[in-house]
Amino acid sequence: MSPIYILCVEDEPEVLAAVVRDLAPFEVRFPIESAATAAEARRVVHEVILPRGKLGVVVCDHLLPGEDGVSFLVALQRDPRTAPARKILLTAQAGLAATVQALNQAQLKHYLAKPWDPEELRAVVRRQLTDFVLEQETDLYPYLTVLEADRLTEKIRQQPLPADR
Amino acid sequence: MKTRQWIGIVLGLAGFALPWLVQFPGLSFPGHVTLGIFLLAAAFWLLEPVPIYTTSLLVIFLEVLLLSAEGPLFLYAKPPAATPRAAAASGEFLVPASAVRADDTVLVAKPSGGAEKVKVERLEIAGALARVRAAGLSTNHAVLTRPDHWTVGYTPTAYRNFFAALADPIIILFLGGCLLADASVKYGLDRALTRLFLRPLGSNPRLIVLGLLVATGVLSAFMSNTATTAMMMTVVLPLIASLDADDPLRVAVVLAIPVGANIGGIATPIGTPPNAIALAALTKAGAGVPFVTWVIMALPLVAATLLISWVVLLKLFPPRTRELRLELSGRFDRSARALGLYAVFGLTALLWFTENQHGISSNIVAFLPVVALPLFGIVGKKEIHALPWDVFWLMAGGISLGTAIKTTGLAEWMVAQVNWGALGGYTIMAGLALLSFALANFLSHTVTVTLLAPIAVSVGAAAGRAAGFDLTTALVAVAVASSYGMTLPISTPPNAIAMGTGVLQTRHLVRAGSLIGLAGLAAVLLLAKFYWPLFGR
Repeated sequence: MSPIYILCVEDEPEVLAAVVRDLAPFEVRFPIESAATAAEARRVVHEVILPRGKLGVVVCDHLLPGEDGVSFLVALQRDPRTAPARKILLTAQAGLAATVQALNQAQLKHYLAKPWDPEELRAVVRRQLTDFVLEQETDLYPYLTVLEADRLTEKIRQQPLPADR
Repeated sequence: MKTRQWIGIVLGLAGFALPWLVQFPGLSFPGHVTLGIFLLAAAFWLLEPVPIYTTSLLVIFLEVLLLSAEGPLFLYAKPPAATPRAAAASGEFLVPASAVRADDTVLVAKPSGGAEKVKVERLEIAGALARVRAAGLSTNHAVLTRPDHWTVGYTPTAYRNFFAALADPIIILFLGGCLLADASVKYGLDRALTRLFLRPLGSNPRLIVLGLLVATGVLSAFMSNTATTAMMMTVVLPLIASLDADDPLRVAVVLAIPVGANIGGIATPIGTPPNAIALAALTKAGAGVPFVTWVIMALPLVAATLLISWVVLLKLFPPRTRELRLELSGRFDRSARALGLYAVFGLTALLWFTENQHGISSNIVAFLPVVALPLFGIVGKKEIHALPWDVFWLMAGGISLGTAIKTTGLAEWMVAQVNWGALGGYTIMAGLALLSFALANFLSHTVTVTLLAPIAVSVGAAAGRAAGFDLTTALVAVAVASSYGMTLPISTPPNAIAMGTGVLQTRHLVRAGSLIGLAGLAAVLLLAKFYWPLFGR
């Protein structure tokens, strides 16, 4: 089973630490990687995540030094290996144009405004990870303790009953 | 492809070729062919160069090609024959000298296949010809010039008998069980029953572990062990999410499911395919037992080992938390179709358990849900398509292999190779059970029993030679012992699912699985000595 990663991109170290801390409950199943800039995030994706597993969810700030968050998400969407990843914007300000671009070209799944409620952030990530796992994985049991168990259960019960051998 | 698989292919082909190259005294030619098929199947099933059900398909095909009357081998291979020539005196014939057998008979080919003995009086041998007097000969007959030809002395089976294994009554029984299980999951009956079982147990973690063992065991008696595990995991994994990551109760709960499922599958003939294979072999040998008798034989064993498992799991993984809140969803569905399912299920189970009163075979009863569930729209094409056809073919391969071993004389030959009488009946039964347990830890349980059942039946054919041997006991012991083969993650699919949850480490499973498995095996050996022979014939 190749690991499914969560990637957090945020330039302010304290904020990044807070995001990672809030998402810690997922870490038993989903390793978390972080990056301060789009360039660093791209390197993490290509050198750490893709050689080992898959990218499941990206939680990304929009305003970053250098390349902005939305164009990084659009780039992820264009690469077939990272296109299935669920993209979440966590930002204080992304203009209408950037948000629309993220929606249309990066399949943005959720927009969270800063400051965020940790419970809400976890709920959003849990839902997106569940969607990702339902879409990409066949073996769902490892995720029943961490993700939305009722939706995973529903899928398991829809599948043909496994037989003994 | 892995080395193991290459070895499997080489060994399988070598095993298949062996009987064509080596003559075993006392074994007929078709017996040799069957031995080759058996060795090929054994190598392929053991080392799995191809999926196990594929090997079953290959077995059936080879039997049809090489052993059936209509297959190319027996269709085209006719023994050499010659027409008798009329000699000078009437009633006297000239036939090839090689055709006259030691007991002064010749074999005359019948138009329908096979040959018939005709008595002759040997008058004179002149070179390659013999002058004989015979009332039963005519110049229209074909006399076999080589009465020792390999095709002589065996009446090949019709090919339909090999294909028919897929519709063997035991597979129909199994089909009925599968369809009931599918429908039960579709209407959430399994969840509602689980809730019913667990609710009265409150929040005491120790009682909950027992409740899970029993609930899983009961469901698994009617559903495949694997399906039961899959369904129960969706119930328990969310429950343990609230526990501390290092509370041993997590391990106990997750292990209770595969353990309960592996053990519960023993309880009924439809609980798991090895039971059905053993029952099919028993039925073929004329010693079949009714559904309810199987349950009566198995129930003490199941109850005892579930209790042992409870003790073992709590000893190995004592819960730290004092309270485990059960919030189980799932009420009984009250829609018309769900009510129909309950009625069909109830009636089928009732008829299965009262077979001794009404005398109608459980195999026939099993067709009731197969007909009634689609008839009333309770299941549809989707469920029919989703039936485990690979497992049906896997079982069919085993059943047809048993047929071939019996009809070609391979069974008697195998019996004759070992002096079974010297071993004693109980020793043989215990040995078979041990072998089944050992193999089942590494092999598919169905395959284990498929390979061992013909051996047990062969010994049964020589029952007189081994005092204290009881065929029913032997096959039940073989089938049941295989279910206790649950030491390793690869031993059974339920174990694999439990490992896949990520809650367990391999050593947890191995410790619990080996202790419970060995306890189960000990219980099997006890029952085989004192209890099961009461049901033998």
